[in-house]
Amino acid sequence: MILRIVIDVLIGLGAIFALAGTIGVQCMPDLYSRMQASTCITTLGVMGVALGGILYEAILMGNAAAAVKIGVILLLVITINPVGAHAIMKGSYRGGFRPDKPMETDDFREDFNE
Amino acid sequence: MPKTKFSAVCSTFVICMAFWLALTWTLDPQELIAGVIVSIVAALFSARFFIHEKAFWFFNPVKALSMVAYVFVFLWELIKANVDMAKRCFGGCKNINPGIVKVPVDVDGLYPEAMLANSITLTPGTITLDIAEEDGQNYFYIHWIDVSETDRVKAGEIIKGRMERWIRRIWSK
Amino acid sequence: MSNWIELVIFAVLLAAFAVINLYRLCKGPTPGDRMTAGDSMDILITCAMVLFAMYTGRTILLDISIISAMLGIIDTMLVGRYLDNGRWRKK
Repeated sequence: MILRIVIDVLIGLGAIFALAGTIGVQCMPDLYSRMQASTCITTLGVMGVALGGILYEAILMGNAAAAVKIGVILLLVITINPVGAHAIMKGSYRGGFRPDKPMETDDFREDFNE
Repeated sequence: MPKTKFSAVCSTFVICMAFWLALTWTLDPQELIAGVIVSIVAALFSARFFIHEKAFWFFNPVKALSMVAYVFVFLWELIKANVDMAKRCFGGCKNINPGIVKVPVDVDGLYPEAMLANSITLTPGTITLDIAEEDGQNYFYIHWIDVSETDRVKAGEIIKGRMERWIRRIWSK
Repeated sequence: MSNWIELVIFAVLLAAFAVINLYRLCKGPTPGDRMTAGDSMDILITCAMVLFAMYTGRTILLDISIISAMLGIIDTMLVGRYLDNGRWRKK
Protein backbone atom coordinates (compact mmCIF):
# COMPACT_ATOMS: atom_id res chain seq x y z
CA MET A 1 0.00 0.00 0.00
CA ILE A 2 2.84 2.38 0.89
CA LEU A 3 4.57 1.41 -2.34
CA ARG A 4 1.44 2.29 -4.27
CA ILE A 5 1.42 5.77 -2.75
CA VAL A 6 5.12 6.24 -3.53
CA ILE A 7 4.65 5.21 -7.16
CA ASP A 8 1.61 7.48 -7.53
CA VAL A 9 3.52 10.42 -6.09
CA LEU A 10 6.45 9.82 -8.47
CA ILE A 11 4.22 9.61 -11.54
CA GLY A 12 2.20 12.60 -10.35
CA LEU A 13 5.36 14.69 -9.98
CA GLY A 14 6.35 13.71 -13.50
CA ALA A 15 2.92 14.79 -14.75
CA ILE A 16 3.20 18.13 -12.90
CA PHE A 17 6.54 18.91 -14.53
CA ALA A 18 5.15 17.82 -17.91
CA LEU A 19 2.28 20.27 -17.38
CA ALA A 20 4.78 23.03 -16.52
CA GLY A 21 6.72 22.35 -19.72
CA THR A 22 3.53 22.30 -21.79
CA ILE A 23 2.37 25.64 -20.38
CA GLY A 24 5.82 27.08 -21.01
CA VAL A 25 5.80 25.93 -24.64
CA GLN A 26 2.44 27.63 -25.13
CA CYS A 27 3.00 30.98 -23.43
CA MET A 28 6.70 31.84 -23.68
CA PRO A 29 7.32 34.82 -25.98
CA ASP A 30 10.06 33.62 -28.34
CA LEU A 31 11.55 30.44 -29.81
CA TYR A 32 14.57 30.16 -27.51
CA SER A 33 12.55 30.51 -24.31
CA ARG A 34 10.11 27.87 -25.57
CA MET A 35 13.01 25.52 -26.11
CA GLN A 36 14.13 26.11 -22.51
CA ALA A 37 10.65 25.34 -21.18
CA SER A 38 10.40 22.11 -23.15
CA THR A 39 13.51 20.82 -21.34
CA CYS A 40 11.34 20.41 -18.23
CA ILE A 41 9.36 17.66 -19.98
CA THR A 42 12.39 15.69 -21.08
CA THR A 43 14.18 15.67 -17.73
CA LEU A 44 12.03 15.40 -14.64
CA GLY A 45 8.83 14.51 -16.51
CA VAL A 46 10.37 11.43 -18.06
CA MET A 47 12.38 10.68 -14.92
CA GLY A 48 9.34 10.61 -12.64
CA VAL A 49 7.32 8.37 -14.92
CA ALA A 50 10.25 6.02 -15.56
CA LEU A 51 11.24 5.70 -11.89
CA GLY A 52 7.65 4.92 -10.98
CA GLY A 53 7.53 2.35 -13.76
CA ILE A 54 10.78 0.70 -12.65
CA LEU A 55 9.54 0.39 -9.06
CA TYR A 56 6.18 -0.99 -10.22
CA GLU A 57 7.59 -3.59 -12.58
CA ALA A 58 10.57 -4.67 -10.47
CA ILE A 59 9.00 -4.92 -7.01
CA LEU A 60 5.27 -5.40 -7.48
CA MET A 61 5.17 -7.45 -10.68
CA GLY A 62 8.59 -9.13 -10.44
CA ASN A 63 9.07 -8.56 -14.16
CA ALA A 64 12.76 -7.70 -14.46
CA ALA A 65 12.84 -7.57 -18.27
CA ALA A 66 10.22 -4.81 -18.40
CA ALA A 67 12.00 -2.84 -15.65
CA VAL A 68 15.27 -2.98 -17.60
CA LYS A 69 13.46 -1.84 -20.75
CA ILE A 70 12.00 1.17 -18.96
CA GLY A 71 15.51 1.94 -17.66
CA VAL A 72 16.83 1.80 -21.24
CA ILE A 73 14.13 4.28 -22.32
CA LEU A 74 15.14 6.66 -19.50
CA LEU A 75 18.83 6.40 -20.41
CA LEU A 76 18.15 6.95 -24.12
CA VAL A 77 16.00 10.03 -23.60
CA ILE A 78 18.39 11.56 -21.05
CA THR A 79 21.55 11.01 -23.11
CA ILE A 80 20.45 11.72 -26.69
CA ASN A 81 17.91 14.50 -26.22
CA PRO A 82 20.37 17.39 -25.54
CA VAL A 83 21.98 16.75 -28.92
CA GLY A 84 18.67 17.53 -30.63
CA ALA A 85 18.31 20.66 -28.50
CA HIS A 86 21.79 21.89 -29.59
CA ALA A 87 20.93 21.23 -33.22
CA ILE A 88 17.62 23.12 -33.14
CA MET A 89 19.01 26.13 -31.24
CA LYS A 90 22.16 26.54 -33.33
CA GLY A 91 20.34 25.88 -36.59
CA SER A 92 17.63 28.44 -35.82
CA TYR A 93 20.13 31.06 -34.74
CA ARG A 94 22.42 30.61 -37.73
CA GLY A 95 19.42 30.36 -40.01
CA GLY A 96 18.47 33.92 -39.08
CA PHE A 97 15.45 33.49 -36.83
CA ARG A 98 15.84 36.19 -34.18
CA PRO A 99 13.36 36.97 -31.37
CA ASP A 100 11.15 40.05 -31.79
CA LYS A 101 12.29 41.68 -28.56
CA PRO A 102 16.10 42.09 -28.54
CA MET A 103 17.91 39.99 -25.97
CA GLU A 104 19.57 41.34 -22.85
CA THR A 105 23.09 40.40 -23.91
CA ASP A 106 23.94 38.65 -27.15
CA ASP A 107 27.54 37.54 -27.49
CA PHE A 108 26.85 35.15 -30.34
CA ARG A 109 25.79 37.94 -32.72
CA GLU A 110 29.35 39.31 -33.00
CA ASP A 111 30.39 36.31 -35.05
CA PHE A 112 28.00 37.18 -37.86
CA ASN A 113 29.14 40.81 -38.32
CA GLU A 114 25.67 42.23 -37.81
CA MET B 1 39.24 9.95 -40.15
CA PRO B 2 41.50 8.22 -37.61
CA LYS B 3 42.38 4.55 -37.95
CA THR B 4 40.28 1.94 -36.13
CA LYS B 5 42.11 0.67 -33.05
CA PHE B 6 41.68 -2.81 -31.62
CA SER B 7 40.87 -1.55 -28.11
CA ALA B 8 38.18 0.71 -29.58
CA VAL B 9 36.56 -2.25 -31.32
CA CYS B 10 36.67 -4.26 -28.07
CA SER B 11 35.00 -1.57 -25.99
CA THR B 12 32.35 -0.84 -28.61
CA PHE B 13 31.63 -4.58 -28.73
CA VAL B 14 31.17 -4.68 -24.94
CA ILE B 15 28.74 -1.74 -25.06
CA CYS B 16 26.72 -3.28 -27.92
CA MET B 17 26.57 -6.64 -26.17
CA ALA B 18 25.40 -5.07 -22.91
CA PHE B 19 22.66 -3.24 -24.80
CA TRP B 20 21.58 -6.49 -26.51
CA LEU B 21 21.49 -8.36 -23.20
CA ALA B 22 19.43 -5.61 -21.59
CA LEU B 23 16.90 -5.63 -24.39
CA THR B 24 16.47 -9.39 -24.80
CA TRP B 25 17.02 -10.35 -21.12
CA THR B 26 17.58 -14.10 -21.67
CA LEU B 27 20.61 -16.38 -21.49
CA ASP B 28 19.35 -18.64 -24.27
CA PRO B 29 22.38 -19.77 -26.38
CA GLN B 30 20.62 -18.98 -29.65
CA GLU B 31 20.04 -15.36 -28.62
CA LEU B 32 23.60 -15.07 -27.28
CA ILE B 33 25.19 -16.27 -30.56
CA ALA B 34 23.05 -13.91 -32.62
CA GLY B 35 23.96 -11.06 -30.27
CA VAL B 36 27.70 -11.77 -30.52
CA ILE B 37 27.59 -11.80 -34.34
CA VAL B 38 25.55 -8.60 -34.60
CA SER B 39 27.72 -6.84 -32.00
CA ILE B 40 30.97 -7.76 -33.77
CA VAL B 41 29.69 -6.47 -37.12
CA ALA B 42 28.37 -3.24 -35.55
CA ALA B 43 31.63 -2.71 -33.63
CA LEU B 44 33.80 -3.20 -36.74
CA PHE B 45 31.85 -0.63 -38.70
CA SER B 46 31.19 2.00 -36.06
CA ALA B 47 34.17 1.94 -33.65
CA ARG B 48 36.00 4.71 -35.50
CA PHE B 49 33.13 7.13 -34.94
CA PHE B 50 33.00 6.72 -31.19
CA ILE B 51 36.33 6.15 -29.50
CA HIS B 52 39.50 8.08 -30.31
CA GLU B 53 41.38 8.15 -27.03
CA LYS B 54 42.42 5.59 -24.46
CA ALA B 55 39.51 3.20 -24.30
CA PHE B 56 39.87 1.53 -20.91
CA TRP B 57 40.14 4.51 -18.60
CA PHE B 58 37.02 3.41 -16.74
CA PHE B 59 38.81 0.53 -14.97
CA ASN B 60 40.48 3.09 -12.72
CA PRO B 61 38.34 2.81 -9.54
CA VAL B 62 38.75 6.45 -8.49
CA LYS B 63 37.36 7.66 -11.81
CA ALA B 64 34.49 5.17 -11.78
CA LEU B 65 33.53 6.25 -8.25
CA SER B 66 33.67 9.94 -9.20
CA MET B 67 31.40 9.13 -12.14
CA VAL B 68 28.86 7.60 -9.73
CA ALA B 69 29.15 10.63 -7.42
CA TYR B 70 28.68 12.97 -10.38
CA VAL B 71 25.29 11.42 -11.11
CA PHE B 72 24.01 12.53 -7.70
CA VAL B 73 25.58 16.01 -7.95
CA PHE B 74 23.94 16.41 -11.34
CA LEU B 75 20.57 15.16 -10.07
CA TRP B 76 20.56 17.79 -7.31
CA GLU B 77 21.37 20.58 -9.79
CA LEU B 78 18.66 19.21 -12.10
CA ILE B 79 15.97 19.25 -9.42
CA LYS B 80 16.83 22.81 -8.34
CA ALA B 81 16.74 24.12 -11.91
CA ASN B 82 13.51 22.25 -12.67
CA VAL B 83 11.66 23.73 -9.69
CA ASP B 84 12.87 27.20 -10.69
CA MET B 85 11.72 26.73 -14.28
CA ALA B 86 8.34 25.32 -13.20
CA LYS B 87 7.77 28.40 -11.01
CA ARG B 88 8.43 30.68 -13.98
CA CYS B 89 6.06 28.65 -16.19
CA PHE B 90 3.18 28.56 -13.70
CA GLY B 91 3.69 32.25 -12.93
CA GLY B 92 2.56 33.25 -16.40
CA CYS B 93 5.97 33.32 -18.16
CA LYS B 94 6.42 36.97 -17.23
CA ASN B 95 9.62 37.26 -15.19
CA ILE B 96 12.09 36.07 -17.81
CA ASN B 97 15.13 37.90 -19.10
CA PRO B 98 16.72 35.85 -21.90
CA GLY B 99 20.16 36.40 -23.35
CA ILE B 100 23.21 34.66 -24.76
CA VAL B 101 26.44 34.80 -22.74
CA LYS B 102 29.92 33.65 -23.73
CA VAL B 103 31.50 31.68 -20.94
CA PRO B 104 35.11 30.45 -20.61
CA VAL B 105 35.52 26.80 -19.65
CA ASP B 106 38.60 25.04 -18.38
CA VAL B 107 38.00 21.50 -19.62
CA ASP B 108 40.02 20.10 -22.51
CA GLY B 109 39.35 17.13 -24.78
CA LEU B 110 36.38 15.80 -26.70
CA TYR B 111 34.64 13.73 -24.02
CA PRO B 112 34.72 16.27 -21.17
CA GLU B 113 33.56 19.04 -23.49
CA ALA B 114 30.65 16.95 -24.75
CA MET B 115 29.75 15.85 -21.22
CA LEU B 116 29.76 19.40 -19.84
CA ALA B 117 27.79 20.78 -22.81
CA ASN B 118 25.15 18.05 -22.47
CA SER B 119 24.90 18.56 -18.71
CA ILE B 120 24.38 22.30 -19.19
CA THR B 121 21.75 21.64 -21.84
CA LEU B 122 19.87 19.16 -19.68
CA THR B 123 19.39 21.60 -16.79
CA PRO B 124 16.33 23.71 -17.70
CA GLY B 125 17.19 27.37 -18.06
CA THR B 126 20.50 26.99 -19.88
CA ILE B 127 21.22 25.59 -23.35
CA THR B 128 24.63 25.43 -25.03
CA LEU B 129 24.60 26.77 -28.57
CA ASP B 130 28.17 26.42 -29.77
CA ILE B 131 31.76 25.77 -28.75
CA ALA B 132 34.54 28.09 -29.91
CA GLU B 133 38.28 28.20 -29.29
CA GLU B 134 40.22 31.46 -29.13
CA ASP B 135 43.95 31.42 -28.38
CA GLY B 136 44.05 28.34 -26.23
CA GLN B 137 40.88 29.01 -24.24
CA ASN B 138 37.60 27.22 -24.91
CA TYR B 139 34.37 29.19 -24.84
CA PHE B 140 30.75 28.04 -24.68
CA TYR B 141 27.92 30.18 -26.01
CA ILE B 142 25.07 29.62 -23.56
CA HIS B 143 21.48 30.79 -23.89
CA TRP B 144 20.30 31.71 -20.40
CA ILE B 145 16.68 32.31 -19.45
CA ASP B 146 17.46 34.78 -16.66
CA VAL B 147 20.61 36.84 -17.20
CA SER B 148 21.49 38.10 -13.73
CA GLU B 149 25.20 38.60 -14.39
CA THR B 150 26.87 39.83 -17.57
CA ASP B 151 30.48 39.39 -16.46
CA ARG B 152 31.74 36.24 -18.17
CA VAL B 153 33.66 34.55 -15.37
CA LYS B 154 30.99 35.18 -12.71
CA ALA B 155 28.20 34.05 -15.04
CA GLY B 156 30.18 30.86 -15.73
CA GLU B 157 30.55 30.25 -12.01
CA ILE B 158 26.76 30.55 -11.55
CA ILE B 159 25.91 28.34 -14.54
CA LYS B 160 28.37 25.47 -14.35
CA GLY B 161 30.15 25.84 -10.99
CA ARG B 162 30.04 22.42 -9.35
CA MET B 163 29.51 20.38 -12.49
CA GLU B 164 32.72 21.61 -14.11
CA ARG B 165 34.81 20.79 -11.05
CA TRP B 166 33.43 17.24 -10.91
CA ILE B 167 33.96 16.69 -14.64
CA ARG B 168 37.57 17.83 -14.35
CA ARG B 169 37.99 15.38 -11.51
CA ILE B 170 36.60 12.53 -13.64
CA TRP B 171 38.61 13.19 -16.80
CA SER B 172 41.92 14.42 -15.36
CA LYS B 173 44.93 12.66 -16.83
CA MET C 1 -4.56 -6.30 -16.39
CA SER C 2 -4.36 -4.84 -12.90
CA ASN C 3 -6.70 -2.71 -10.83
CA TRP C 4 -4.45 0.36 -10.99
CA ILE C 5 -6.93 2.72 -12.58
CA GLU C 6 -4.80 5.81 -11.83
CA LEU C 7 -2.19 4.69 -14.35
CA VAL C 8 -4.78 5.10 -17.10
CA ILE C 9 -5.76 8.50 -15.71
CA PHE C 10 -2.14 9.70 -15.81
CA ALA C 11 -1.70 8.28 -19.32
CA VAL C 12 -4.78 10.18 -20.54
CA LEU C 13 -3.46 13.35 -18.86
CA LEU C 14 -0.09 13.05 -20.64
CA ALA C 15 -1.85 12.44 -23.96
CA ALA C 16 -3.96 15.57 -23.32
CA PHE C 17 -0.77 17.58 -22.80
CA ALA C 18 0.44 16.23 -26.14
CA VAL C 19 -2.75 17.52 -27.76
CA ILE C 20 -2.12 20.96 -26.23
CA ASN C 21 1.34 20.89 -27.81
CA LEU C 22 -0.30 20.13 -31.15
CA TYR C 23 -1.68 23.69 -31.12
CA ARG C 24 1.85 25.11 -31.01
CA LEU C 25 2.88 22.71 -33.77
CA CYS C 26 0.14 24.07 -36.04
CA LYS C 27 0.57 27.74 -35.13
CA GLY C 28 4.30 28.20 -34.46
CA PRO C 29 5.76 30.99 -36.59
CA THR C 30 9.17 29.40 -37.23
CA PRO C 31 10.26 25.83 -38.02
CA GLY C 32 12.12 25.68 -34.71
CA ASP C 33 8.86 26.21 -32.80
CA ARG C 34 7.17 23.42 -34.67
CA MET C 35 10.06 21.05 -34.08
CA THR C 36 10.16 21.87 -30.36
CA ALA C 37 6.46 21.11 -30.03
CA GLY C 38 6.86 17.93 -32.07
CA ASP C 39 9.70 16.73 -29.87
CA SER C 40 7.66 17.39 -26.73
CA MET C 41 4.70 15.51 -28.20
CA ASP C 42 6.91 12.56 -28.99
CA ILE C 43 8.32 12.36 -25.46
CA LEU C 44 4.86 12.72 -23.88
CA ILE C 45 3.37 9.99 -26.06
CA THR C 46 6.32 7.75 -25.15
CA CYS C 47 5.59 8.29 -21.44
CA ALA C 48 1.87 7.63 -21.93
CA MET C 49 2.72 4.42 -23.75
CA VAL C 50 4.94 3.27 -20.87
CA LEU C 51 2.10 3.89 -18.41
CA PHE C 52 -0.38 2.02 -20.58
CA ALA C 53 2.04 -0.91 -20.91
CA MET C 54 2.29 -1.01 -17.11
CA TYR C 55 -1.51 -1.09 -16.82
CA THR C 56 -2.20 -3.80 -19.37
CA GLY C 57 0.97 -5.82 -18.81
CA ARG C 58 1.73 -6.04 -22.52
CA THR C 59 5.52 -5.62 -22.84
CA ILE C 60 5.35 -5.19 -26.63
CA LEU C 61 4.34 -1.55 -26.01
CA LEU C 62 7.70 -0.94 -24.30
CA ASP C 63 9.57 -1.96 -27.46
CA ILE C 64 7.44 0.42 -29.47
CA SER C 65 8.17 3.26 -27.07
CA ILE C 66 11.94 2.62 -27.31
CA ILE C 67 11.74 2.94 -31.10
CA SER C 68 9.55 6.04 -30.78
CA ALA C 69 12.05 7.77 -28.47
CA MET C 70 14.95 7.00 -30.84
CA LEU C 71 13.23 8.14 -34.03
CA GLY C 72 11.87 11.34 -32.48
CA ILE C 73 15.34 12.49 -31.51
CA ILE C 74 16.79 11.58 -34.91
CA ASP C 75 14.25 13.69 -36.80
CA THR C 76 14.78 16.63 -34.44
CA MET C 77 18.49 16.51 -35.24
CA LEU C 78 17.75 16.21 -38.96
CA VAL C 79 15.64 19.39 -39.04
CA GLY C 80 18.24 21.20 -36.94
CA ARG C 81 21.02 20.38 -39.36
CA TYR C 82 18.80 21.32 -42.29
CA LEU C 83 18.13 24.78 -40.87
CA ASP C 84 21.84 25.29 -40.30
CA ASN C 85 22.76 26.39 -43.82
CA GLY C 86 22.71 30.15 -44.27
CA ARG C 87 20.15 30.23 -47.03
CA TRP C 88 17.32 31.08 -44.62
CA ARG C 89 19.07 34.15 -43.27
CA LYS C 90 17.14 37.35 -43.87
CA LYS C 91 19.23 40.09 -45.44
